[in-house]
Amino acid sequence: MTLALVGGTHRTVPLDLRERLAFSADQAAEALARFRGRFPGREGVLLSTCNRVEFYAAGERDAAPAEDEILAFLAECRGLDAGLLSPVLARHRDDAVARHLFSVASGLDSMVLGEPQILAQVKQAWALAQESRTAGPLTGEMFQAALRTAKRVATETALGRERVSIPSVAVADFAAGVFERFDDKRVLLVGAGKMAAETLRYLREAGARDVTVVNRTAGRAVELAARLGARPGRFDELAAELAAADLVVSTTGASAPVVPLELFAGVEASRGGRPLVVLDLAVPRDFDPRIGGRPGVWLYSIDDLGAACDANRERRRGELPAAQAIVDEETRRFMGDLHHRSTAPVIERLKAGWSETGESELDRLFRRLPQLGEAERGEIRQAFERYAAKLLHPPLASLRSESRSGPPHGLLDALKRLFDLE
Amino acid sequence: MRFGGGEVRPSQEPVRAHGMADFVSGISIVCFAASYAVALACEASRPVFRSGLRGAAMIAFVAAGFVAHTLFLVWRGVSESTAPLSSPFDWYLLAAWLLAAGSLWLTLANPRTPVGLFLLPVVLALVGAATLASRAPFLQSPASRVWGRIHGSFNLAASVSVAVGAAAGLMWLIQAGRLARKQPPPRGFRMPSLERLAHLTHRSLAIAAWTAAAGFVSGIVLNAVNRRHGLLETVPWNDPVVLRMGAVVVWLIAADALAHAARRRPDGGRVTAWLSLASLAVLTGSILWGLLGRSQHGVPQPPPAPPAASEAAP
Repeated sequence: MTLALVGGTHRTVPLDLRERLAFSADQAAEALARFRGRFPGREGVLLSTCNRVEFYAAGERDAAPAEDEILAFLAECRGLDAGLLSPVLARHRDDAVARHLFSVASGLDSMVLGEPQILAQVKQAWALAQESRTAGPLTGEMFQAALRTAKRVATETALGRERVSIPSVAVADFAAGVFERFDDKRVLLVGAGKMAAETLRYLREAGARDVTVVNRTAGRAVELAARLGARPGRFDELAAELAAADLVVSTTGASAPVVPLELFAGVEASRGGRPLVVLDLAVPRDFDPRIGGRPGVWLYSIDDLGAACDANRERRRGELPAAQAIVDEETRRFMGDLHHRSTAPVIERLKAGWSETGESELDRLFRRLPQLGEAERGEIRQAFERYAAKLLHPPLASLRSESRSGPPHGLLDALKRLFDLE
Repeated sequence: MRFGGGEVRPSQEPVRAHGMADFVSGISIVCFAASYAVALACEASRPVFRSGLRGAAMIAFVAAGFVAHTLFLVWRGVSESTAPLSSPFDWYLLAAWLLAAGSLWLTLANPRTPVGLFLLPVVLALVGAATLASRAPFLQSPASRVWGRIHGSFNLAASVSVAVGAAAGLMWLIQAGRLARKQPPPRGFRMPSLERLAHLTHRSLAIAAWTAAAGFVSGIVLNAVNRRHGLLETVPWNDPVVLRMGAVVVWLIAADALAHAARRRPDGGRVTAWLSLASLAVLTGSILWGLLGRSQHGVPQPPPAPPAASEAAP
């Protein structure tokens, strides 16, 4: 019963090679079908994302394919030279495979530590293996254990709780610190920068409905507003829009501030004392930084938000030891169960041998005591079974205990020799 | 009221009742004050211990303290036939009980917000004030009892509102400070939004102002009723209680007016937060003045002097 893994991530495989090694969903299904033909009876799961390509293999009766065989198989599937992949792909076997998968599923091996998307990708990889009939009991148990580990890491540590993307931090840590709700707030998008749509997605999730888009190019504002489900506004009415807005997301590519202090001072009185949150995600900045010093204005530049993201990343790193302890614990548990499972054939033979001996002795006894009724016979049979179970308990408990620290080969050999189980 | 006693007990029920009565009568102020103090320590340790056990322990200690507090007040009412607002001691304990209930409810509803850190110190301060306050009941005639209860209830509502408003105001300032420093929320110390806190602060200040005013007016009515029935000494206008309560009422009404005026200013939230904290300071000063000063408030009228022999003679 063995596990093997060959794979590479953004840390080890250069981007150009990673692009060539990556599998689309169709290519992955094709590769798994080829694996089934090449390694019959063996299990395989292919995990391919933009940051990693990993092939998990397992063998229950026959050993899993050797790591070099898997590497050659991957190279062949993608039409690459195995020599090119050999120095950049990692190889793992047995408990290292489980530990790695549990770390991956928990987001500990991700580019953004603790990011949750990888868990969905692990589930998809497992589902594809099931569809391709390369999944089996061993990989099934390992992937189930990986999902359990990821769930424990998510609930027992704060690894995934800190936000690390600028739009999510801007909305959840700052805008939501000022406003209790967003469904009664007016959102103004100034410009059409790439982060505007992403920030708006978080604002929509928080309940924002009333969104206006203004852009120097009116046509672009109309197009963007249609795409984002917002209302187009006129750039020459920016002052009026500012007076009406509660939250501004600014992402223009202007080389000078779009909202100088004088412009804001002109609309300040007409705001009626309402607080204003400004998420200035433009470089160079769209809002004069002095506006942030005005009462009731909460102005955050991309650097402010970036610093908050860094602080959150640092906090995530602080959770790493606790998360790794969970991964280690789950790996020990999984490998213990796996090793114990490898003792099943010997235990079955041992139980069958004892049962056979017991049955023949009972038959002899019942022939010599024909006067026994069914009830007495049942009692005697149960006493025999209890006796056998009690005698078997210590060796089985020793096997289970030994399995926690590795395959109990010594004990299995001893049992085979003592009870003639070959 | 005593249960059981030294008699022969015909069944288990009186034994159980006796045991329960012994248990409840054994609850002291120290029991629930200690529970609240431990809960406060658990709350303050949020940044150090982020385990779910810490939160569970905090809630368990507040709940235990609250149950003990409730049983103490009930037992006091039953065993000494005292109404909840019948003495300064009971008044402080009831105010603390209301704030403890609020703290427990808000903690259960918002487990990530350290509400207890702001409310439990006030609860402990009120319990401390109770230990210094007189336990002698205010003397009341049947005619003045209703007005006495109205007076006490309005003052209680005003004090609790001031405490809640100050807690919300302090949270507003802390949250605003964090947002101004552009830092992410500290782990385990996620405050409510400024919008929600400003709303709560403003509403608490308004309730405090109008209930304090109603309490003051009902006190004047109570004084008049007492005077008419001759049960108590009439509290003079220059009595410390009248002066301090008058000052509190004037301050609260002025603070509410200022907060209302500041609502349409960009810094209105900050102004209201500071006004709510100042209101708590004014109320605390008033309570300390009441605890340390002398007053005719609630003092029984001395028995009429016996007539002189010459006057008594026909």
